[in-house]
Amino acid sequence: MAPINLSHRRTHNLLLISKLLSLRDTASPLTLVLDSLEQPATPLLKEYIRRAKLSKVHVTLIAFETLKQPDGVDAFVSTRRKSPADIVKEVSAVYQPVAASNPSRRRLILIDSINPLLNSKRVDPGFHLPSFLGSFIAPTSPSAKVDASLVVTYHQDVPELPQQSPYSPTPISELTYLSTSIITLHSFSHVLAQKAARDRSLAPPVFGLEEEQEGVLLGRLDRLVGTGKAEGIVIELEHRRKSGRGVLEWYLLPPASRYSPQHLKEIVTLLDDNVLYNPPMEQDPGAGDEEPTSTFELGLTDRQRREREGVVLPYFDAQHNDGPGEGGRILYDMGEEDDFDEEEDEI
Amino acid sequence: MSFRKRNIGLSPGVDRNAVPNAAAQLAAPETTPGIRPSPDDGRPTTSTGTRSLDNLLAGHAGLPMGKILLVEENGTTDFAGALLRYYAAEGVIQEQKVHVVGVPEQWGRSLPGLIGSAESLDEKRSDRRKDDRMKIAWRYERLGEFGAVAGSRGAPNNPGEQDTAAKEAPAFCHAFDLTKRLTHPSITNMYFIPVMSSKESPFLAILKQLQTAITSSAANTIHRIVIPSLLNPTIYPPNASQPEHVLQFFHALKALMSAHNTRVTAMITVPLSLYPRSSGLVRWIELLSDGVIELCPFPHSADAMATSGAATSQEEPPQGMLKTHRLPVLHERGGGSDQNVGQDWAFVLSRRRFEIKPFSLPPAEGDTEAQEASAPGGMPKKSDLEF
Amino acid sequence: MPSQPPLPPLLAPYVSNLPDSSLTLVSSILGATSNWLVLRFLHAALSSPSPNAAFGSDELHNGTKKKVVLVSFMRSYEFWRTEAKRLGLDLARLADKQQFAFIDGLSELFYAPQPTATPSISPSGLGSSPRTTLPMRSPPGAVPGRSPQPAWPTVTGARGNAMPKQAEPGIAKKLHFSGRGLASLDALEKDISSVIEQQKSSMEDGDELLLIIDQPDLLLAATGPSMGIGATEMSEWITALQQHAHATVLTLATDAPLIHNASTSGGLATPIETEHAALVIGLAHRARSVMQLRTLDTGAAKDVSGVLRISRGGGLNASEESLEEREALYFIQRDGGVKVFGRGES
Repeated sequence: MAPINLSHRRTHNLLLISKLLSLRDTASPLTLVLDSLEQPATPLLKEYIRRAKLSKVHVTLIAFETLKQPDGVDAFVSTRRKSPADIVKEVSAVYQPVAASNPSRRRLILIDSINPLLNSKRVDPGFHLPSFLGSFIAPTSPSAKVDASLVVTYHQDVPELPQQSPYSPTPISELTYLSTSIITLHSFSHVLAQKAARDRSLAPPVFGLEEEQEGVLLGRLDRLVGTGKAEGIVIELEHRRKSGRGVLEWYLLPPASRYSPQHLKEIVTLLDDNVLYNPPMEQDPGAGDEEPTSTFELGLTDRQRREREGVVLPYFDAQHNDGPGEGGRILYDMGEEDDFDEEEDEI
Repeated sequence: MSFRKRNIGLSPGVDRNAVPNAAAQLAAPETTPGIRPSPDDGRPTTSTGTRSLDNLLAGHAGLPMGKILLVEENGTTDFAGALLRYYAAEGVIQEQKVHVVGVPEQWGRSLPGLIGSAESLDEKRSDRRKDDRMKIAWRYERLGEFGAVAGSRGAPNNPGEQDTAAKEAPAFCHAFDLTKRLTHPSITNMYFIPVMSSKESPFLAILKQLQTAITSSAANTIHRIVIPSLLNPTIYPPNASQPEHVLQFFHALKALMSAHNTRVTAMITVPLSLYPRSSGLVRWIELLSDGVIELCPFPHSADAMATSGAATSQEEPPQGMLKTHRLPVLHERGGGSDQNVGQDWAFVLSRRRFEIKPFSLPPAEGDTEAQEASAPGGMPKKSDLEF
Repeated sequence: MPSQPPLPPLLAPYVSNLPDSSLTLVSSILGATSNWLVLRFLHAALSSPSPNAAFGSDELHNGTKKKVVLVSFMRSYEFWRTEAKRLGLDLARLADKQQFAFIDGLSELFYAPQPTATPSISPSGLGSSPRTTLPMRSPPGAVPGRSPQPAWPTVTGARGNAMPKQAEPGIAKKLHFSGRGLASLDALEKDISSVIEQQKSSMEDGDELLLIIDQPDLLLAATGPSMGIGATEMSEWITALQQHAHATVLTLATDAPLIHNASTSGGLATPIETEHAALVIGLAHRARSVMQLRTLDTGAAKDVSGVLRISRGGGLNASEESLEEREALYFIQRDGGVKVFGRGES
């Protein structure tokens, strides 16, 4: 049952992430990417841009923190000293010539980080986040048919400033409510470390800022990554279908160095399919990859475990409720290996 | 590991047999009273008025000029206030200009009275100690004498000279008696800068007066800035604790100190029970200071103190812990290599001195035998000494 | 102890040859300050590469010439000069040769000590603060003494015209904060960028200018939201300055109260804490590398000053460049030399 289920999931969900990352069928007009210092969104945005290039999608980057126009970006909109309205205007302006020449082209708008806008002191209180984001997707002029997808990055670890109005929802809850897909990024090595801890019923480790150690901003260290096997980023996708149903899946995006920029086949895999995350069953379960091998065999094979469960302990029978005073007898069945001496031993 | 402090060899005034004047010449080449070069790197330092505090300051055996020392105190006690009074009194004795911020002039009249140079007091103490020597386990002996380690040079050691000598031969650090009142001709030279509440930063006027006083004074005048209980709401208006006021003040004070980095020192106390160390504001105040010291007094029950923390019966029980979070110059350079860093310190405030010494845990509470052995005045029983 | 090379070999790859338009963060805490590391950046950029070459022989070696503009909000020029001298860098000479410029953000940032020293900038509007118009009664020239900077009246032009050093030798410009909000930041930016442009005017192709800003977070802490300056404004300010420089190095405080209060105390954090955390974490997202200094977790030790962790920041272009992350211990010797070594080594 389980394998069938998994292959079903694999087919459907891989198709879904493929559609989302390649912006096919406007599967998600508004994608929210939640990242942190432990796993920045840069590799994922690069992947968006790469795929957009392959399928000739026009890419606009609204830069709140990027200094220079990255490769593959068609239009770079700096936001310094611009009001939200100005930004909207400029973003639609850079697309005008493209729209005129090739009306059917699709468009990808990336916002490298929405936090500065949300935390800005300069933005007037009348700033309305939903309509700001909406104005990118739904263009002002009805004649121009734009097929735009908006990808917004939000740094989860940057603290939110107190709300102007205590009754309105926080920006992050507004964002998550509005978006059609929410991608939360995790570092693969951290996911592995946390899984290993969970498998041992230990408290999962925390990294970086969550360690709350004075002077530590970032926790990632190459040592954790090990020999490079655990590279890549883990994508936790929450997608709302048009039908209203939700999909939740974990994926793994390999590092960009593993494939050529022209690579067309899907490179994202399910996290459950990963060998490091889900070691194959043939292997001794319980012995994780990073467990040190020792000269003592501490694990049990299945047969040994079954046999162990079959053993009846000496006091086992006494635990049956035979009434008070009845407990404490030792039940022992003589085996052939027992060298019973009538005179010495008494049962 | 050497038994001698490394800086002894470097100290110019180490020769105890030299005539006081010659020693003074060596110690203070600028002939400015109360200033001597640091044994660590030769920069001018001045005394905080508390010998053991001087010795704590990263091998400079004094507070380097141009530096701000922040003393924080937990709880409702006022040990930091005592340190501040010593600091102010030392300034008066050394005829430096003492600027006191935010307290009325009574504060100046309550400065502790002069006993003599700190060295002379130590001399007397160690005389007494000699008599006691047999009673003290040898390994504790040095601990008690911590205060006498680094700072005892360049000053007369003759206990007979005392009060009169203190004025003529320039002693670096003096000893004061908290129960007496300081009388000194230059005590009238203290400046009291009131805190006025204003719509703008209340520190503006303070800074202006400090600036004027320092820039308009003669070039060889040494200044001390004393700020008791900063941001205490009974002294400061509510808007003083706005970061743009208090942090700008600290920044400007830092600028003032670095502009006159051979003439000014400052010591500031902050009540931590009002402004906890875990707050960002206090952390910025600390970051803007050159030295940060935290006092954590023990709960003050006399009975509890009698049995806690005293290593031997000969030592007064500590009244609290002292933590050094940052030391002048040392941490500016990156920190680390000081021999005093990482020690646990305890402090004792008695009538005549504020002493900082290494903290050692008392015998375990349940260990009554050990406690009896260390009971006040109790000589070790003969049976204890026989093996 | 043998004297250490000015630039520990383990550190060298991280402080030299910073790529174009990169941002490097150096984070420090109360007990583990960053000044020594800033000096290493200075040394990596300014020292002549051949070990026995004296100053002035830079022209002999080919490759890029480097210039440094250091903006310091927490330390005086005096401090940097003395400490750099211990590493064999003569900042005064380098300033004369237009290789180095110091911008003083300490001495007159919030309170100008002399009424004659007019604020160098005329902020456009937004109500002038009384801070700039302190009437000072001190007679000019009254203090000839040993004070290293007898503050003579200087009028600093808004354009930073004429000479790069006006008031005191070595100091290219003193910053003054006035007004509030963006206008005041703009004025500071103009002052700094004018010095940068001045330096650039003597640059040849391929020369690189390194901008080091020492504790710009102070500016945020000492002004804050009530003066219309928040994390976003500060980080935009830094972006603007970054655009003038080849590479940028910032030092910032990451003390626990300034970083963790904002996330843990559930909305009860004070604005100074929230804004600081937003600025520092936001910048770490943009940075190429983050060099984090902290004290030993196990308490102080006699031969270890602290721990240095070098991490990749969010802005590192991982596909084009690799940066090895590592953690090492460091020890500042009494002579100013620094040892950087791995755990368990010495």
